[in-house]
Amino acid sequence: MLMTAEHYLDNEGQKVVIIMTSGPSEPARCATPFYLGSVLAAMDNEVRIFFTMEGVRLMQTGVAEGMAAMEGGKPIIDFIRDAKRAGVALHVCHPALPGYKIEPSTDLIPEVDEVNRASELADLLLQSDKTLTF
Amino acid sequence: MECNGCEFHPELFYDDEFQVWLRREDDDTLTVGMTDLAQTIAGKIIHVRVRRPGTRRPPGKPVATIESGKWAGPVPNFIDCTIVEANSQVLENPVLLNSDPYNAWIARVEAVEGADAALRAFLTGDEAEDGYCHRVRDEDIHCQRSTR
Repeated sequence: MLMTAEHYLDNEGQKVVIIMTSGPSEPARCATPFYLGSVLAAMDNEVRIFFTMEGVRLMQTGVAEGMAAMEGGKPIIDFIRDAKRAGVALHVCHPALPGYKIEPSTDLIPEVDEVNRASELADLLLQSDKTLTF
Repeated sequence: MECNGCEFHPELFYDDEFQVWLRREDDDTLTVGMTDLAQTIAGKIIHVRVRRPGTRRPPGKPVATIESGKWAGPVPNFIDCTIVEANSQVLENPVLLNSDPYNAWIARVEAVEGADAALRAFLTGDEAEDGYCHRVRDEDIHCQRSTR
């Protein structure tokens, strides 16, 4: 049987930053970043998702449990947990939180790895090999 | 042997979350596959990619990646090993992992420190069965081996 190159993984690991600005007002945009992040992490890449603008609401306790990208689909919180298990790191933008009345010490889900200033996002972007925005 | 309809083979070796099974071969290589429990959680598998044979994989670095309609992630690896071979049938027809998870192996690997040393970290026999059944019952998982 002829095996095509796409069946084998031999990529070198890269640093990937996914900027997530979409949130509960656009649920159809809220599963793919985690799914793609999971695939990239499973391929040995260092993947970080940085939530800013309305994206921070996905990291708010209770929000992702009640959302699905499609009607009757898998809850967004399960996509988030899959990504975490694959090795994706989750970063939340501190300056975006007051606009949504989110208190970082009490209102974020435990899957969050870090709450960062904008300058730390800038560092991540400058150090990354690939940047994606959703 | 089954728990909640989830097939189990006591002669195989399992990680403590029962995601993968390992079988020792006569040539001291280890065959790696997904458990019935894991394929059920994943759903219908649509794509599998394995690290190229000859690639060394330290613990924590996946042997393969899997994509289903609702899940994407690694086939986890817990040992220092080198990929020997991928199952070409599974690469061409990934849904075999759903329909026949204990025959549709994913990869064969060679453990750097030998099979005996590698398998010490895994569960087998009655201990594995107890853990496997506890997980499927605790999480109310009911396995399906159809091609859905």
